[in-house]
This record gives sequence, structure tokens and C-alpha cells, in this order.
Amino acid sequence: MKKALVLTALALFTFAAHAEYDQVNMTVFGMDCAPCAHAIHVSMKGIKGVNKVDVDLNTGLVSVQLAPGNSASMQQFNQAVEKNGFTHKDAKIIAKGKLTGTAAAPVLEVTGTADKYALTGTGGNVASLLGKTVTVSGTLPQASKGKVADTLHYDSIAEAQ
Amino acid sequence: MKQLAILACVLALTASARASDHGPVFGYATPVNSQGEFSFDTGLFGRHGTGGTQFSTGSQIGYGLTPHLTFTAFIPAMFGSGSLPETRVFPGGEWSAGASWRFFHSVTQVGKRLEATGSLALVLPGPQPDSGILSGLTRAPGIAGTVAAGLASRSQYFWVGGGYTGFFEKAGSRRPDTTTWSTVYGFRPARLRRGYNQWDYRGLIEFTGEHTGDLRMHDAAVPDSRSTSLWLGPSVLAIFKDVAIEGGIQGPLYRNVSTSVYGRESIRFALNVSYLKFSSRTSTH
Repeated sequence: MKKALVLTALALFTFAAHAEYDQVNMTVFGMDCAPCAHAIHVSMKGIKGVNKVDVDLNTGLVSVQLAPGNSASMQQFNQAVEKNGFTHKDAKIIAKGKLTGTAAAPVLEVTGTADKYALTGTGGNVASLLGKTVTVSGTLPQASKGKVADTLHYDSIAEAQ
Repeated sequence: MKQLAILACVLALTASARASDHGPVFGYATPVNSQGEFSFDTGLFGRHGTGGTQFSTGSQIGYGLTPHLTFTAFIPAMFGSGSLPETRVFPGGEWSAGASWRFFHSVTQVGKRLEATGSLALVLPGPQPDSGILSGLTRAPGIAGTVAAGLASRSQYFWVGGGYTGFFEKAGSRRPDTTTWSTVYGFRPARLRRGYNQWDYRGLIEFTGEHTGDLRMHDAAVPDSRSTSLWLGPSVLAIFKDVAIEGGIQGPLYRNVSTSVYGRESIRFALNVSYLKFSSRTSTH
């Protein structure tokens, strides 16, 4: 019984430590000059768990790398853009989370946040991954201001290492 | 004392008519502060003519309450002697406080936006010229309103704007109501469209115009006190992350100004330094 409890605790710890956003690449419209990019950089770096931020003014690409075990939410990334008067378009993300739902309607729950996405896409044996912690790479479509998309179109999905 | 009380109230509410930091040094533009951003501007502005030379310095503090609403307060100082017409395009010896609202904002592409901003400010008399016809005037507060619209992009900038300042009458005197307008074109060459952690330069051509109405003293309009002038000149803006330095010079294109009342103004120049303190705060989820 004691062994089972220890194993459960270890499993939960492992799960929590690996459930998060690893990388967020957002295309941002409207940045014309250095202070625009600097403002985004400062806002993104202010989010707890953000390791590195790169902003390319000519492509509008904002690349955010996150530390393991972070609990940053997508809402915070969007807010970092919106508060500076810009608009975020599609975002490419790499995230770890628990795969729930059904094989026909899988859902990714990014633990440590309230973020939950209905997954669409092809490839990967979704049915065999249900209930497991997975790493998903995919695209979050643009959502209206103040909102986060509820669907993630995945390019790849695999059990987290 | 009453004026100080009014000023304190106004500074608590805050506002200004001019755009700061990102924009042109003479003309009107649309940028406002980010949410939570403080901006600090300080500048040296000069006007020279046959009536003498006037310098003014001004410091402006701005705070972005939302991404589209900025409150500002302008603190003036003026020195030098000169008999020159009233101006509102150029920062002068007035305290002002108000708000700028970016009421239209369309983000259409990477690096490009169309926007329009309106400002409303209360203007209070501050340090005044120590010579010339305006120096002997009993002054009263005024209200200033401006509107600017335009395009900002990685390569080009274009803004048009206009404003009106009306002053209240006091002891039979009233400062000239002033109508101003400006057109600004800016360009950043391809080789200067670099990363944000390098110096960012752009060149601008600024056209400004100003019409001042009758000056009233002792309950009567002063003859020949109206003026109209048009100005044109280049400016350069250099920005590194959160610091901006800008300088510009303007010469007259057209002057309909009484030389006996105001002299003949021949040159305007400005140097402005800005520091932008961006907020890193986002809400937790």
C-alpha cells in the first residue's frame, strides 16, 4: 500500500514537471520600430517562466522559449502583445500536457494552467495516447482580442519523454 | 494660489495635445503609450527672428492607462528675449495636461498600422516671453484639441493633423486663438530596417502651418495682431530600445505677419530626448 502511494506521488510529480509550454512563436502585426519590439520583449520577459525572447521586426515573429516546469498561460502571451497595441495572428506552439477526451475528439490539457485545446489534425496514434502526458507541436489560430483559441491544429503528437 | 490649485487638479487628471517620443518633433502624430508605459520627454526648442531669440524647454510625462489612452502632463520653461507670434505647434511657456485617445487603430500587416488619435488638454499660463507684445498680456487658461491620422510602417510614415487652441478672456485681455495643422512624411531606408537591439533611424520632412487670431488687450483687438505662417524642414529620429533622440530645423515658406508687432521670425529648431519605461506586467491566468 505504502509502495503504491509513493509510486502515485512520483507519477504525479513527474506529470506536473513536464506539463507546460516549451516554445511559443507568434506572428505579431503592427510593430514598425525598435521601441515596439522592445515593449514586446519587456512584456514577454515579465512572464514568469520565460527564458528567452527574440523579436524580428521585419517578419513580425516573436519567439518565446520557456523554462521547464513553468505555468505561463497562453492568455499571458496574448496579453503581452495586446497591451502594447498590437495584434497577434497564428501562433506555433510546442506544449506538453495530458491527453484527454476520446480518440475522435481528443483534448490537450496543459497542466499548471487552465489552457485546454480540442485537437485537430492527422497522424500519431491518438487512441493509444489517451490519458498519457504528450508533447504536441501545432498551430493555434488567431483569436479575437482577449480570447484564446480553443482548437489546436497539431502537426505532431507523441508521448512525452 | 487659485491657479496653483487648478494646476494641481489638472495634473491629477492629466493630458496634453502633442504626441511624444515615436513621432515627429514639430508636427502631429498618432502614437500613444503602451498600457502601463511611462514616457519621459524633455526638449529644447528655439525660435529666432528680427524680434529676438526665444528658447523654451519642456518636459512631458506620459502614462498609458490602456493601449489606446494616454494621460500626459507638460511642464514648460522659457528664456530669452523675443517678440514673436503666439505658437501652439511649437512648445511654449504653458503648462498643459490632458489625454490622448487613439480612437482608430487598424493593424493590417506585419509592421504596418493605420491609426487616428485625438487629444484634449487644458492649457495654463506658465513662464512667458520677457519682451514683445505678448509679454505684457494678462493671461488666462485655454483649451487645446488636436486630431492626427496616418500610417506607420517599417519603411514609411505619413501623418496629417490639426489642432485648435482657444483661450479665455481675463481683465479685458485674451491671447490669440490658434489654429494649427501639419503634414509629416518619414522614411527608413532598407539597410536601416534592422533588429530592434540596434539603433533605429528614420528621416522626416515636416510641414507645419499656423494661424493666430486677434490679440485682445484693454477690451479691444490689437491692430495687425493676426498672423499666418507656413514652415517646412527636415528632422531625424534615432531610437535605441527605450531611448529616442530627435532633432529638426524648419524655415518659413510663407509669412503673413506684422513685422511691427512681432518682428520677422526666420528659423525654428528643436532637440528632444525621450525615455520610455515599458511595463512588464501581465495578469496571471
